[in-house]
Amino acid sequence: MGMNRRDFLRTAAAGSGALLASGVSPAFASMPKELPTGAVGILYDATLCIGCKSCMVNCKKYNSEPGGALYLQGRTASYEVKPGAPFWDSAEDLSSRTVNVIKVNKSGTGLNKDSTDNGFSFIKQHCLHCITPACASVCPVGALKKNPVNGVVHYIENRCIGCRYCMMACPFNIPKYEYESATPQVRKCQLCYHRYDEGKYSACCEFCPTGASIFGKVLDLRKEASRRLTLKPGDEYDFPVQTVDSKQKSRRKVSKYIEHVYGLKEAGGTQYLLLAGVPFEWLGFNRNIKDQFLPDLTWAYIAKIPAVIAGVILAGTATWAVTRKRNKDKEG
Amino acid sequence: MKGFIEDFGAEAGDALDRFARNGVSRRDFLKFCTGVALFLGLPGEMGARIAEAAAAAKRPPVLWLSAQECTGCTETLLRASHPTLEKLILELISLEYHETLLVGSGKQAEEWREKSMKENRGKYILVVDGSIPVKENGIYCKIGGKTALALLEEMGTQAAAVIAIGSCASWGGVPSADPNPTGATPVHEIFKSKGIKVPVVNIPGCPPNPYNFLSTVLYYLTFKKLPELDDQARPKFAYGRIIHDNCERRPHFDAGRFALQFGDDGHRKGYCLYKLGCKGPETHANCPIQLFNDVGSGAWPVGTGHPCFGCTEKGVGFTKPLHSPAVVKDLTPPSLFTEVYPGKEGVSPGVKSLATGVAGVAIGAAGAALISGLGKKGDDKEDKGE
Amino acid sequence: MNQKDIKLFTPTTVVLLIVMAVGGLAAFYRLFFGLGASTHLNNAWPWGLWISFDVLGGVALAAGGFVIGGAVYILNWKKYEPIVRPAILNAFFGYALAATSITLDIGVPWRIWHPVIMWQVNSIMFIVAIHVVLYTTTLATESSPLILERLNMKKAVNFVEKIMPAIALFGVLLSLLHQSSLGAVFLIAPEKVSPLWYSSTLPYLFLVSAVLLALSMVSFETILSARVFRHKPPLDILRGLARGSLVVSGLYLLLKLKDLVTGPGVGLAFNGSLVSNMYLLEMIVGIILPFCLLLLKNVRTGVNGIFAVNMLVIIGTVLNRMNVGIVSMAEHNSRMGYDYFPSWMEFSVTMAMIAFAILGFKISVKYLNVLKLEH
Repeated sequence: MGMNRRDFLRTAAAGSGALLASGVSPAFASMPKELPTGAVGILYDATLCIGCKSCMVNCKKYNSEPGGALYLQGRTASYEVKPGAPFWDSAEDLSSRTVNVIKVNKSGTGLNKDSTDNGFSFIKQHCLHCITPACASVCPVGALKKNPVNGVVHYIENRCIGCRYCMMACPFNIPKYEYESATPQVRKCQLCYHRYDEGKYSACCEFCPTGASIFGKVLDLRKEASRRLTLKPGDEYDFPVQTVDSKQKSRRKVSKYIEHVYGLKEAGGTQYLLLAGVPFEWLGFNRNIKDQFLPDLTWAYIAKIPAVIAGVILAGTATWAVTRKRNKDKEG
Repeated sequence: MKGFIEDFGAEAGDALDRFARNGVSRRDFLKFCTGVALFLGLPGEMGARIAEAAAAAKRPPVLWLSAQECTGCTETLLRASHPTLEKLILELISLEYHETLLVGSGKQAEEWREKSMKENRGKYILVVDGSIPVKENGIYCKIGGKTALALLEEMGTQAAAVIAIGSCASWGGVPSADPNPTGATPVHEIFKSKGIKVPVVNIPGCPPNPYNFLSTVLYYLTFKKLPELDDQARPKFAYGRIIHDNCERRPHFDAGRFALQFGDDGHRKGYCLYKLGCKGPETHANCPIQLFNDVGSGAWPVGTGHPCFGCTEKGVGFTKPLHSPAVVKDLTPPSLFTEVYPGKEGVSPGVKSLATGVAGVAIGAAGAALISGLGKKGDDKEDKGE
Repeated sequence: MNQKDIKLFTPTTVVLLIVMAVGGLAAFYRLFFGLGASTHLNNAWPWGLWISFDVLGGVALAAGGFVIGGAVYILNWKKYEPIVRPAILNAFFGYALAATSITLDIGVPWRIWHPVIMWQVNSIMFIVAIHVVLYTTTLATESSPLILERLNMKKAVNFVEKIMPAIALFGVLLSLLHQSSLGAVFLIAPEKVSPLWYSSTLPYLFLVSAVLLALSMVSFETILSARVFRHKPPLDILRGLARGSLVVSGLYLLLKLKDLVTGPGVGLAFNGSLVSNMYLLEMIVGIILPFCLLLLKNVRTGVNGIFAVNMLVIIGTVLNRMNVGIVSMAEHNSRMGYDYFPSWMEFSVTMAMIAFAILGFKISVKYLNVLKLEH
């Protein structure tokens, strides 16, 4: 090989320059780990939920409007089935047509509400809007973004390449894919952020008859949640309806809660908080979800890349020089 | 009322003759009894047995005691059905004493009551409507100088069974509403405190559906025992399910469509009244299937656009605020809900067969490699060539 | 036997062509009707056969390019020069197929170029995408002398040969990052991947196993082509590769055992469940058996022994990629109520990829001076 050391270094530098220039610098790349200043979210209280699915219906209705999570050009209302269509949309799980679903877990006879012993409890599944979302961190093109002000994790359709890494990465299995389409998109709850401008908020909270889902600033929701945990079961309490600071209250007896506000710490904290009378593991939450920032796991790897690039180029060049000389010496 | 008065206290005779006299054919009578059997959830052939019991020569005596009540229960009974049937019902039994329907009054009526009690001691059915005031020894309700409390004790101990009709007699009703100034108490509680062992059936409702009462009576006549009761002594055939289960507006609830205000768009469209405070989800009664007044569909509170206020349920009607949302009872998951763990522990069949297939190919190929590579003795020719 | 004597239209070729035609039709069907119509992927199984076998497996099988390239051009171990061309060409095919598979697998193939301009450096997938693009280019450059020679472009050949060490170093760098980043892809899902496979050292495990596979794959191909062309296999090269395999498989075994002991504990591997059994199978076939066999002198010096070990390593490592990509998440996804078994179209596209690689390599050998045979 007729190549001297200078040539080699020059070529190597030119080739790897692009990679180095990609600026894998922590400052540019680090994910936010603090709750955004104006973070909004939902508090779901499973003990208040009556399973009426009003949230599911109105979620579909209001997200089918332009800007909504289910909006599709040319389709004004995905929740309205065309005349003659051979199905009735009774969503069983989150899907590309359903970004909010009420599920149940029951045991034995299933007679006692909010009990694991011959009882049942409802659970409302939708995006938890992590403070440090794994889906946004793994998206190669930044099609999922966390709004720096209100913290809504939302989707930018025309960036998405459809690799579905977000679905792999989400610890709560939230993002769903339009497999049925040849021009598919990812669908997930976006907290109805398209309705904020008109002074509205998440449809599931607006139409919840009991106040099981309430909308508000995350800090207020956290206060409300911890307040409810201090209440004595059997006492009466004015549960706010629709929003956390609502004037409309629903007075009812307090059920027994599990001493746990889900979403304070899980996966680094979420903007969707949950209260329930049964353990959350029983409600389908993966027990292996740790109180850690998931993007840290991959960042630990990515952060090493610049060092690897520099190290490999240096060590490789040195090795090449040394072994080449030894070979020449042998031949010589 | 003429026929009724004529028959009041009449000698026991051939019931069917009397039916015929009143323009009721044997065929009509059997038809009616079969209808009652079906309503009770009994096989159709039971109609014959009911007819037999109803037409028996000696009609069972019934005494009716009214305490703190509004006469709504009597009114509902009078509107029970088509006129001919109404007569029939009243002819099945021998109504010995009823303050509203009694022809006689005052001393005469009270004497008849005592006479009848003596004659039918331990055999008569006592029907009570209205709650019994107990405060200050029950002075808030007196009949013929006796308190309702004393009368109940006197009549109750000698009865074969007691039917407490209406919400007042069943669990206190309107008079027991907070702050309950008269100490209005339901029949079964008084029996409990006085140690009276006579069985009590509660037919709550304000007013109750007359057919719930009539069916209970006919059941008793036929089988000589009380129908199956729930833990609040209500007949299960009528109070076994919550109103929510059979409500015609239930699809709107399931679909999340609610009326938000009286007269709003949703209300006009017949949406679910849950948000207006409907207590259907926590109230046990058959109102949506039995309906009232025999006038066809929609003839019940929710059908007319007003939320159920829970009159048949202790602790709901007259207790909870009218428009506060109900606590949903007896939801039966998971008929309409996906379970959070639809899968089971372990691995689903598709992945299992994929993994097994991959494992099979891997084992086969690895085995082939080992046999072909290591099975041969010594090394092959390429190696020797070195 | 001379390379010109290779018959192109053998029955095998016809079969391969048919397989490719079926797979090609399935690929077109997928492009026009979407993933739902062509695959059995679903909301709990976003990735299936294509990602696990074609991409993870294909890229690992292509690791020979950087290992031998590095040995020849950086370490200047000229002994291995005869096998550098097939190794690199093989890598090029591996990567091209992985790239094709990714293109088919992503939902919106016409946006495949997005990662190149829409950077999101937090994403391992972005790292993977950039590496695929750069490394495929690098491999194309590394293989370009084959074409250039054929076209008699002496100058260009000389230029490429001159800068080859730098390209090789770049290739080594990219491959180190790329092979490991494919493992790092799964770091984000500790709650889904079975602890038998999940570990913070997953990137290193992928890298080490890729190197092991590279040595075996190159050795395997060398023996295979020697048999096809009926010439003596270069025994010193094969023995060198086997020695390397011994060291690397020892290291890999140590790393795997360390993860098992410090992670979920040995008990989990022996609980008899399907997932544990798949783990055991992968460990025995891909690591323990090869390592133990290579410890025996007559195995690692004889062609037949080496060939058998190569087969075991190839099977075991592909099994590892299938396990990480599918089996490791089977219990989690089954609990969610979802199932996955690839559709016939997924299978046929994968088969077509393999057929294309075999046929492409055969054609290259016939028309290009891949094996650097004397003219």
